Formats: sequence, C-alpha cells, structure tokens
Amino acid sequence: MTIDDYRIEREPYYRPQGDEIALFKAAYASRMPMMLKGPTGCGKTRFIEHMAWQLGRPLVTVACHEDMTASDLVGRFLLDATGTVWHDGPLTLAVRFGAICYLDEIVEARQDTTVVIHPLTDDRRILPLEKKGEVVEAHPDFALVISYNPGYQSVLKDLKESTKQRFGAIDFLYPEPDVEAEIVAHESGVAKDVAARLVAIGRRSRNLKGHGLDEGASTRMLIYAGRLIAQGVGIKAATKVALVLPITDDADVRDALDAAIAACV
Amino acid sequence: MLAYLRASPALAAAFGPPSARALGQAMAGIARDAGGPAAEALARAAADASRRLRSAERFGAWLEIVERLAGLAPESLEALLERTERLLETLDSENLLAWALSGIRAAGGDPERRRLFFRFDDPVAGRWLARGGGSTPFSLLERRLKIYVTALWGQNLVVRAAGVTAGELPRRTSFDENFIRVPEVFPGVPDGQSAALFRAALAHAAAHLHFGGSRFPIGSLKPLQIALVSLIEDARVEQLAIDELPGLKRLWLPFHEAAAGGALTAPALLARLARALLDPTFVDGHAWVEKGREMFLAECARWADPAISRAIGSLLGNDLGQMRVQFNPRTHVVEPAYRDDNLGLWDFGDQAEATGEAETIIQSARIEQAQEREAPPPERERQDPAQAASHESPAPRRLKPEVVEDVGIPVAHYAEWDYLIGRARADWTTVLEFAGRTGEPAMIDRILERQARLVTRIETLIRSAKVSRPVRLRRQAEGDTLDLDACIAAEIDRRLGQAPDPGLYSVLIRRHRDLSSLVLLDISQSTGDEVPGAGASVLTLEREAATLIAHAMAKLGDNFALRAFCSDGRAAVGYHLIKDFAEPFDRRIFSRLAGLESRLSTRMGTALRHAGAELDGQRSHRRLLLIVTDGEPSDVDVGDHKYLVEDARHAVLELGHKGIDVFCVGLDSGGDNYLARIFGRRSVLQIDRIEHLPEKLPMLYLRLTA
Repeated sequence: MTIDDYRIEREPYYRPQGDEIALFKAAYASRMPMMLKGPTGCGKTRFIEHMAWQLGRPLVTVACHEDMTASDLVGRFLLDATGTVWHDGPLTLAVRFGAICYLDEIVEARQDTTVVIHPLTDDRRILPLEKKGEVVEAHPDFALVISYNPGYQSVLKDLKESTKQRFGAIDFLYPEPDVEAEIVAHESGVAKDVAARLVAIGRRSRNLKGHGLDEGASTRMLIYAGRLIAQGVGIKAATKVALVLPITDDADVRDALDAAIAACV
Repeated sequence: MLAYLRASPALAAAFGPPSARALGQAMAGIARDAGGPAAEALARAAADASRRLRSAERFGAWLEIVERLAGLAPESLEALLERTERLLETLDSENLLAWALSGIRAAGGDPERRRLFFRFDDPVAGRWLARGGGSTPFSLLERRLKIYVTALWGQNLVVRAAGVTAGELPRRTSFDENFIRVPEVFPGVPDGQSAALFRAALAHAAAHLHFGGSRFPIGSLKPLQIALVSLIEDARVEQLAIDELPGLKRLWLPFHEAAAGGALTAPALLARLARALLDPTFVDGHAWVEKGREMFLAECARWADPAISRAIGSLLGNDLGQMRVQFNPRTHVVEPAYRDDNLGLWDFGDQAEATGEAETIIQSARIEQAQEREAPPPERERQDPAQAASHESPAPRRLKPEVVEDVGIPVAHYAEWDYLIGRARADWTTVLEFAGRTGEPAMIDRILERQARLVTRIETLIRSAKVSRPVRLRRQAEGDTLDLDACIAAEIDRRLGQAPDPGLYSVLIRRHRDLSSLVLLDISQSTGDEVPGAGASVLTLEREAATLIAHAMAKLGDNFALRAFCSDGRAAVGYHLIKDFAEPFDRRIFSRLAGLESRLSTRMGTALRHAGAELDGQRSHRRLLLIVTDGEPSDVDVGDHKYLVEDARHAVLELGHKGIDVFCVGLDSGGDNYLARIFGRRSVLQIDRIEHLPEKLPMLYLRLTA
C-alpha cells in the first residue's frame, strides 16, 4: 500500500457549522497538532476527511483501541525468507510522506502507547524508531490530528496531561436544528421537512443524556433513519430501527422514547 | 325507617321493587349487627351506590358485600358507607371487597385500627384504594414517565406521586417551580389508557413550565375569571407545544369529550371551550364558546405572550358572569382529566382570603406542603431496590438523643510526634469513640434526590469501573493468542542459532477490585461556617459529598467505612463512627450522617493514626484513607501551629510504611503549604470552590481506585 492509496479523490460532503474550517486551515498552516472534541456521530471524522481533501493531503486514519501497542503505530520487523524486514506502521508512513495522521478515539488507546506521538507534537517534529535505530524527520506537510470524546469515560480513560497540552482543540457539537436538518436531508435524500422532524426527534433523545441514556441520538443515526425513510419505510418504523433500538435496552427508556417520538410526528 | 322511606322510592324506580326490598332486608340486618346509625348510613349510601352501579345485579352484589362487612367490622361500617361514592368511583364491587378485606386483615383484629383505615386516617387505605382501581397506578409507570417528560423539553423536573391530602386523593396534576405532583391514579380510566393519560398530564404540565411566564398575580379576579384565565393559558401553552411537537395534539385530543349542547352549566361550558380551543373541527354552536375561540385565534400571532391569557380570560369571565350560570369554585374540577389544577399559574400573594377558590386552593396547598415537610415522603425518586425495600418497612423514627451517644468511650492511646525534640511522645493522646449521633434519614434521601443527575452520572461511571479494564499480558508461556512481537523475536533467535524465549503467547485478564477505603471527615467547629455563594455550610457540603461517595462505593461493592473526627485537647480526640466496614449503607447510616454536627478542633495526626489502625485490620490488597478537611490542624492545648502539622506529617509517613495510601481533599484555598507538607504534593487535591465537593469527591475516588 502506498501513500497515494490514502488520498481522497472526491469531495466529502461537509456542512460547516461555524468557523472551524478557517481555524483548522490556520492551524495546519503552522502544523499545529489538533484535537477534535465532541460526541460520537457529530461529524468529526467527516470534517477531517473534508479538510484532507481541501488541503490535498493524504489522510491516514488509525482507529485506536486499548490493545494497541506502540509498534502498531510506528511499525515492526517482520520476517521473510532471508531475514527480517522493517514495515512502517501507519504513523511512520504519514510522517515520512507528509500525510495527515488521524488518531480516532485516542482515549481508547493506553496512555503509555500514546506517548510515542510526543516527539512529533512539539517543535522537534521527529519520530524515533527505536527498534530500527532510525530517527524519521517529519515531512513538512505532516500533521497530526486526534479525536477525543470526553463523555462518560473521562474519569477512567483520559489523556495524560502532557499529551493534552500538545494540541489545539476544536469543539464539535451537534449542529443547530436547521443546519442539522440540511445535513440529514443531503446525506439521506429525504425531504427537508422530514429531515426537520428527524432532527426534532433527535433533540428529544439528546434531552435524555444523563437521564437514562449515556448519549443522545447522533447526527449519523438521524441520517440512517432518513435513509430508511428514503427507502420507503414509515417514519415510526425507521426511527425505531435506527434511533431507539440501537441506543438502549432499557424497556422504560424505550417506551419513553417511543412516546416522545410519537409527540414529534 | 325514615331513611328507608326516603331512599326506597328512587331505588325502586331505578332498579325495580326487588332491589328496594333487598335494601330493606339489608338495613334490618345491619341495624342488628352494626347499630341504627350504620343502617341509616346504608340508606343514604344506597342512593349514591345506585347512581354509580347502574344495574340491579351490581347493586345486589354491593349490598351483599356491605352485609358481609357488617359482620366483620361492625364499628367501621358507618365510616365505610359514608365514603361509598368515592369508593365506587374507583373500585368495582369485587375490588371493593378485596380492598375492605385487606384493610381488615391489616388491622389484625384491632377495631381502632380498622376504624382508622376505613376513615382514611391510615394513609395505606388511600394508597391501596388507588392501586385497586383497575387503572395502572403512577408508581408502576413512574420511571418511564419521568424519562418521557425529560425527553420532551430537556427540563430537569422532579415528578412524584401526590400524597393523600386530608383523606382525599388529589384528582388532578399539580405543579410548581420545583415539582410536578401526579395523582397516584386517575380513577375510572381503563387500564390501557392510564399511560396515555399520565403522559398527557405530564406533557401538559411540562408545557406550562416550558412556555409559561411568571405566575399571574391574582389581583381582584373573581373565581370564574381565574378558572377562565387558567383555561386560556392551558390552551395557549398547548398550542405552542403542538407547534413544536405536533404529535402532542393526538395525545391530548382524545381526552376532550365535551360535546355541544346539553345543560348550560359553567363546568360544561368550560369543558366545551377547552375543546373548541384545541380542536378546530369541533363545532359547538354556543355563542359564548365560539366567541372564546375567535378571540383566542385572533391573537394567534401573540401566543407567545402569557398576557393574552389574562386579557381573554377576564373578558370571557365577565361574559359568562352575565349569563348567570352557576359556578362553585369549591367543587370545580378542571376538565379534561389530564389538565392540572392551575395552582402553579397563580401568585396568591398575601391575600389568602381574596376569593373562595384561592382560599380552598391555598388551604389544600398548605396541607400538601405540610405533608411534604413532615416525615420522609413515601414517594421518593426511585433508588435501588434494596433501599426502596428498606423504606417500605416503617422507617426508624428519630430517637431521642440518648446519653450514651454523647459520651465517648476511650479506645486507644497514640503517640504524638514533637518536631522540637525530634521524637514521639508516647501515649500522648486519647481517642474517644462516639457511636454517632442520629438525625433524620430523610435528609440523606433529599440529598440523593436533589443530586439525581450526579447520582446517575456516578452510577454510569461505576458500571464501567466495576468491570475493570482488561489487561493484556505479553510474552506468556501459555495463552489464548500468539504474541506477534514475541514470535518474531523467537524466530530471529532461532535463525541466529540461539535458544528462543518460550513466552510466545499473550492473554487478556481482568483484575478484580480488592481494596478497602476509609473516608475521614473533619467536623471541627470551622466546618459550620457558611460557604460564601453556596448557601450551605462546609459540613453540609461534606455530608453531601460523603453521601454521594458512599453511594458510589456501596454500588461498587467496595469495602468501606465512614468516620468523622474532632478534638478537644489531647485527652479527647473524638472519633465518630458513621459506618463500619461490615455495615450495609442503609437508613441507619443515613441517620448518622444526618446527625453530624460541627464542633471543637482538628487534631489530625491522632485521627489519622486511629483510622490507619482500623484500615490496617482490613485484609485487602490496597487500603486507602481519604480525608476531607477544611483547615490547618489545631487544638485548644497547642499554641505552636507547626507542631500539629509536623505530627500529622509523621502520621502520614507511618501509614505509608504500613502500605496505606493516604489522600487528602483540602477545602481551604490557602492550604497549599501545610497540606502539601503533611500529605505530599501529589496526594492532595485542593478544591477551590467548595460547592463542587459533592461532585469532585466521588470522581476522585473512582480515579484513585481505577
């Protein structure tokens, strides 16, 4: 796989909510590492795809998980018939060829794993490959972006203070209702008024954050519901499939959500 | 006899002569069993019953029950019969018998208790009545209804079932800025519709709170005008709500059953107007109703302004007044059933005797509030089943502080470190253990209720903390999966001709929580000071924090104890036992927490040593001592403030040697110096805004123990 495989060919749809595009461009111009904060499904990943496309940089995405080791990021020696060969990890690849490296849900990775990004995120901009005995100087176009969803886990899973302080941050929230309706309509293909209804429903479920739900229905879920409706499914059935059933197993919460949805349509 | 003569003709007309004869026989029997007054009461009750029961068979069944009860509880029969109308409103005859029998059984053969039950002086009677009515009671639907109403507008509302007021069950919802009170049951609603009616009622009250303005001053409005202004306001907030959530109309409309025509009474006209305002397809034809609708619709551009309700309502009230229809504010019940009693809309000011309605309303409100203040309300926010169960059993009444509680028992002597001489003074201090003064456990219930949002947040965190994070162990000799890095290293070794490391596997394991914690609260005199801006004393906040952290620890199943300390010289270091390691976190603990008082001084070192000794006796991998203090160590017999600081530091070091972790939460913003000196910089958390303590403490605990 070469770095060109990571290029984004077609413009990903992104509807700006504020000045985040300008802010990100300014941050990229000075190669400042950025942190995208916000609840799940509110458009963080789409935003970074869109920015990579605008800036014309390849985008290397790594979904972090708690079993991830530093070698999964920087690379490791593998064997072939004659001996060992070094294989760059996704982070090293991005560093060498000047891609934007996007570490998705970084809190999921263990704290000792994430310290490998420290030398990249200050003015050194280097990545030491300790096993290989090489220090990779970052390509001038390289930039590091992480996503970080504080949420309920924040007490137990959090970034080290020393990691946090290396980033600038853009906060993402669910968009304003009319903007969100526009997004839902565009992405799912339903009419604007149906999208507005879906957004109204989504807001009801977000009211329940902390009152039975850990997180309300995301924009992504609303789009899923919209796609079902575009396929000819009724709004009640679509919301049940895409919004209610995935989000909770609690019978009382389901009942309340169903009733709240009935109040919206 | 006279009573019979009065009752029988109507009865004979309604159900035929046999029913009237049956009544006569029953009266004779009851006069014999339960006395003349009861028989007369039966004659009066028969009229109510015939209206309610509407068929001769059911009337006969009712008579049989009454005769049977006359044998079982003769002294209570009169009381029972006087409440016939109300009972039959909720219960059919089968349920009536079940209700009465359960009351008789509960009384256990004590006529006085039976009488209390049938007079509804025993609150159980009302509650059982509410349950027995065939409609689903609020308590069964409570949680889903609360979630529903939160979902609508994201308000943080406290919804609870309204208690029995003066022997009467409330018939309508009631709300104010703090609570929505819902009747435990709406009588006579078929099972399937109860949930819809509760939802309609809650959505209506929530709409008031969301779209309503400040309360209307009652001014010189007449009762009828008050009722009308309320009605217009009801319609106004409903229209705004429907604008946003069109489905609510489908929820509300079926409950409007008023039909055009019929008697021109004020309640009927009000109900018709209510329907006309909500239902554009409803044709009434009565000029006043149509006028009301026109006036209301004409103002549709200004619906967002509550003032229109007052303007339209008083005009319509005048019109209706001129029509000379009768309106009795004392018996008026708002229709349809989902609407609230309108109490929350009005500011009655100080003019309690302004109008008849205001008076009645205020009276009932007062009773309600008095109930709320008294004793723990039976309908609390839902908690875990264990606590709910313990609540069902009669709560321990507040005990008179016994003499024993105030006398500490000397339990231990401890050395104290004197930094000047560089050695410990042996057996210098004495610890007195106190069994913990008790207070009102309801105080702790209220804390958990008020902090409901935080409690749920903590519970969510706990769910993830409970199942500790899995840890991957690499380079193991056996395991579930191959460790890729180890395999490569082994293969390299093999090719180099060296002996490879046999640890090629990795396993995923979960470590279990194995810890004991002790939370030590400083309750010295200074904790009685009010925290500026928080409106509460330091101790109140400490108590809240202790409640929440204990709630969290109990949910986690952690082994923990709660202690508090204060001192009065070296011979009397008070050590208050709030909760032992082995004790469950229940209402007894609640009452001890509630009983904490601020007094005396802060001899921290000794308290730390004693707490450490207790923790030392616990068999667990990790032992944590968490101390919450608001100030520098001090005591009446020590002049040198550095002395107690150095002693406390020494105590912490000693505990460290024993393998006990000590962590301090400091509530004194100027405490940097000495707290860091005592506990070490990394073991102190300074809370600059004390009002955040209840939130911070449980979070800190979870972080320390994760």
